[in-house]
Amino acid sequence: MAKAIKNVVKLELTEEEKRAQDLREIETALLDNKDAILETIDLLKQMNNRGVLTMATSLFAEGDKVLHTIIKALDNPEATNLLKNMLLLVGVLGTINVKQLEPFVVKLNAGVARMSENKEQEKPISYLGFAKTLKDPEVNRAVGLLLDFLRGMGQDTEDLERNTQPPEEQAVQKERTRDYEGTMHKRD
Amino acid sequence: MFIFGVLSIFYRKGFGNLSNNKVKINGVDMELKAEQTVLQLLSDSSIEVPSVCYHPSLGPIETCDTCIVNVNGELVRSCSTIVKPGDVIDTSSKEVKKAQVIGMDRILHKHELYCTVCDYNNGGCEVHNTVKEMKINHQSTPFESKPYQEDNSHPYYRYDPDQCILCGRCVEACQDVQVTETLSIDWERDKPRVIWDNDVPINESSCVSCGHCSTVCPCNAMMEKGMVGEAGFMTAIEKPTLRPMIEIIKGVETGYGSILTVSDVESAMRDAKIKKTKTVCTYCGVGCSFDIWTKGRKILKVEPQVEAPANGISTCVKGKFGWDYVNSEERLTKPLIREGDHFREAEWEEAINLIASKFTEIKEEHGADALSFISSSKCTNEESYLMQKLARGVIGTNNIDNCSRYCQSPATVGLFRTVGYGGDSGSITDIAQAGCVIVIGSNTAESHPVLATRVKRAHKLHGQKLIVADIRRHEMADRSDLFVQPKVGSDLVWLSAVTKYIIDQGWADERFLEEKVNGLEEYIESIQKYTLDYAEEVTGISKEDLMTIAKTIHESDGVCVLWAMGITQHLGGSDSSTAISNLLLITGNYARPGAGSYPLRGHNNVQGASDFGSMPDRFPGYEFVSDPDVRAKYEKTWGVELTDRPGLNNHDMIEAIHAGSLKAMYLKGEEMGLVDSNINHVHAAFEKLDFFVVQDIFLSKTAEFADVVLPAAPSLEKEGTFTNTERRIQRLYQAMEPLGDSKPDWQIIMEVANKLGAGWNYSHPSEIMAEAASLSPLYAGVSYDLLEGYNTLQWPVAPDGTDTPLLFKDRFPFPDGKARLFPVEWTKPLEFDEEYDLHINNGRLLEHFHEGNMTYKSKGIASKTPEVFLEVSPELAEERGLKDGTLVRLTSPYGVAKVKCLITDRVKGKEVYLPLNDSGDGAINLLTSSFADKDTDTPAYKEISAKMEVISYDGDSPLPRINHRNGNPNPQKGVEVERKWARKDYIFPGDLAKVGRKNG
Repeated sequence: MAKAIKNVVKLELTEEEKRAQDLREIETALLDNKDAILETIDLLKQMNNRGVLTMATSLFAEGDKVLHTIIKALDNPEATNLLKNMLLLVGVLGTINVKQLEPFVVKLNAGVARMSENKEQEKPISYLGFAKTLKDPEVNRAVGLLLDFLRGMGQDTEDLERNTQPPEEQAVQKERTRDYEGTMHKRD
Repeated sequence: MFIFGVLSIFYRKGFGNLSNNKVKINGVDMELKAEQTVLQLLSDSSIEVPSVCYHPSLGPIETCDTCIVNVNGELVRSCSTIVKPGDVIDTSSKEVKKAQVIGMDRILHKHELYCTVCDYNNGGCEVHNTVKEMKINHQSTPFESKPYQEDNSHPYYRYDPDQCILCGRCVEACQDVQVTETLSIDWERDKPRVIWDNDVPINESSCVSCGHCSTVCPCNAMMEKGMVGEAGFMTAIEKPTLRPMIEIIKGVETGYGSILTVSDVESAMRDAKIKKTKTVCTYCGVGCSFDIWTKGRKILKVEPQVEAPANGISTCVKGKFGWDYVNSEERLTKPLIREGDHFREAEWEEAINLIASKFTEIKEEHGADALSFISSSKCTNEESYLMQKLARGVIGTNNIDNCSRYCQSPATVGLFRTVGYGGDSGSITDIAQAGCVIVIGSNTAESHPVLATRVKRAHKLHGQKLIVADIRRHEMADRSDLFVQPKVGSDLVWLSAVTKYIIDQGWADERFLEEKVNGLEEYIESIQKYTLDYAEEVTGISKEDLMTIAKTIHESDGVCVLWAMGITQHLGGSDSSTAISNLLLITGNYARPGAGSYPLRGHNNVQGASDFGSMPDRFPGYEFVSDPDVRAKYEKTWGVELTDRPGLNNHDMIEAIHAGSLKAMYLKGEEMGLVDSNINHVHAAFEKLDFFVVQDIFLSKTAEFADVVLPAAPSLEKEGTFTNTERRIQRLYQAMEPLGDSKPDWQIIMEVANKLGAGWNYSHPSEIMAEAASLSPLYAGVSYDLLEGYNTLQWPVAPDGTDTPLLFKDRFPFPDGKARLFPVEWTKPLEFDEEYDLHINNGRLLEHFHEGNMTYKSKGIASKTPEVFLEVSPELAEERGLKDGTLVRLTSPYGVAKVKCLITDRVKGKEVYLPLNDSGDGAINLLTSSFADKDTDTPAYKEISAKMEVISYDGDSPLPRINHRNGNPNPQKGVEVERKWARKDYIFPGDLAKVGRKNG
């Protein structure tokens, strides 16, 4: 006669058995990952030597508080503007064509060098003298260069700006339109 | 003239057709292959068009206005515009782009982009992905908060109006896919939002927690609570910190591009910690499959997939949210051995040794037939196969059965008699496309919720006729075109009368009968007594209703009959099932799409448990143990001799224990001590067993009687296959490791077998399936390779892997290929003494599974439906002075149950309804008898009467106010986007884009 029963006596390990079992598990895990563990110990040693470990421990221990403090500090118009400007600058720097800029920079350097050699002028340069100077091939090249730069600056580049244009007016959209057309042409 | 005429004919017939099928997209000619929308055509042509509100399972919703393109010069929504031959479509003009951007801008006005700290940033966010795809860097209208709080009232999902883009997907899914009709968008208020019922908190609404809304939500507005604070790396940050963080990200933004890149990186990192595993639901026979997202043992969410063959995006509350039990502290984690008045936890070795020695001892002393085996319909096909192999091949007995004996064996017999295969004729898609669906004795909306949605949708949107025959007024009855309430157990009579009337009217499908069916004359002879007058008298259904049923069947393009326990659990359950099949044969409703017989299988693997041989008289694939050729095949492969003595079914087993001939039982994954009928009698039998092994995930009521209890692993912790009600074989994959020392059932059975000397060495369930497939012609071509991911096979599967979604297309599986009309007689239901004056109907509830061992472990479900209740009609309540919460004692000739009352018009007169979801004093089977279907021994659960005494009149209602049954649904067709368009502040972006051009 096996009556219905509900009582379950758990298989309780003694403290010692439990400890032995846990140690066995850890030992196996250590042996399975011998190389990684030794490497890590080395890393920890280096970190500890430089005080990084203590800092990291404190940081993680008070993670929520630290994060909250940082976030609070950042949550004001100056800070967000700083981050925004940094991000924008990074973007703008990315668009500079260094290859084209190089000759200009070299020339700029030469100009600065010449300038530093130049002694304080004793008498002012006359209009005629100024006009004559334009004939000097070196000066003439420099003026031509500056005029080209001014022309370039006056060109309409509005559609390249990412920060002031509605999306459908952005160059990327236009490129995309061209991509579509390109695809369609390929299909032809 | 003549030449012109010839040319014009040629033009029309030849080139004309060609040119008619062409459309021009962005200047390129394309062939139009089928009727489709512009969006579908563009998508097929790999041209990307934004489409935030569009979902393939919901169709065009037309709320987001991001998919605007130019068709023949007009700016239109591509999702809802059907392509016509000759159309000229443009997707790339400035005007189109402008209109799309306006649409998207309006979405971003309603939705704040803080993707990196959003739990929905998992690669699938449609808002995020569309912003990226459209290369939008800025929005012209800034985000504006809505004046509503987050609704966190529901235990399983939350709604954040501030993130809601009002796409209406959730409403479409609720109204037209799930058809619970709870959600709508209140378009008329100043700031529209999604509302529940007539604007009540989610948890107080008619929401059935099916999860469709959170599944289809394109962003983080409607989200599973399991995801909140869990999915992301930085989403668990506390609110006071999170808010300023979002502000910083927004303040810093130099364009969305960089923000989205960071969030994409974060999203990719999430893949390392979140595991997505395809699994198959274990809560009913529909066979829903989905991905389950886990982080260690934590379940984040269930994510249904469009390609899931049985359910697509659909789930019910149990499949979507009812998985807490896998982490329950009550799970068994070690074998238990009975020792006096308690169980002692033991190691596997000791438990298996004890089982092997006891089995051997009993077999040697009393013979192999003194042992018995019960397989589980919740376990896999492979586990069913191994259990019967253990019984037959290792022990040497055919005493093996499974729980389909309690539910669906009569349906299987009815189909074997008439059409030769014991399974659904077609797929759930056939049910959805039928002209008429007849539901008999099935509370489909609660017992097979996802399958029911297909019927509800077809009925609501596509004019499908719905006839329901049931003694209780449930949801399907409320929705039906015709609801009839036959007297208990009288279905065979009305079915036969309708069939006779159809024949008398000349509506029988003569050609089908001539070509494909035997036994017509004898059958017609057998139903002569079932006149409409006789049927009206016996069943209580009026002649008019019977004629209406007959006429509807006659006029419908395809009839599917769905039936369940209301038919099978009677003295004549097999015969009533046969009568259904006879009616379908007479009307030619077999072997064609959108028609056939659909006995709805109750558990996830009721079909498979029998398919794979856990039956006392049949091997896998339903081949008889009495057939020497079949036995020889198994003897050769298994290397053993097999007995031809038919075994005991589980009903016989109980009697054999009482008789003293059956001494031992090994039962896995069945709560037989609660779900068998007349459980006092069953418990008494368990007590008499010499040795009883129970394998389960919990210490169930049945396990309390065991000598050894073995801890098994549930579906999420193992691999294998299930076969659903459509005969569809589907793979499940392992989502997590077995808890503690528990093991998958197939491994446990193998250990028992090997300790008994079997020498099995299966290393994966695929090897078990390969062996079963090599032996059984029914799934000759089944292999795990063909079942990868969401791929499935519907048996029979030919050796080359071809499966059979629709049965009988070429022939019926009888020697001459013809079906058989099978005459049956009506068996009168049990009669009770006058004192037992109430009929106790019983069955399922939507939110609990069976006795509730698993679903009561889900806190959310238990909070909304904490206990069982007795549904009592208003008439009876008035007569006896009963109220919600009145505690009553029900006494039948077999036992006593105690339960609280709930007054409802779902039942009438002296009919009460007791759901089967209780394992205590309210358990229905304390009342039921051991009488059974005469052909299959399936207990006649539905034929029981009792008397009622009041224990205490006053008490709390057993059904909390927050139960969905207390809600007030708000039915409408879809999201009613026309109401959005009618708003004064709405202008179609296409019009704005055009205006812009004129001005510019």
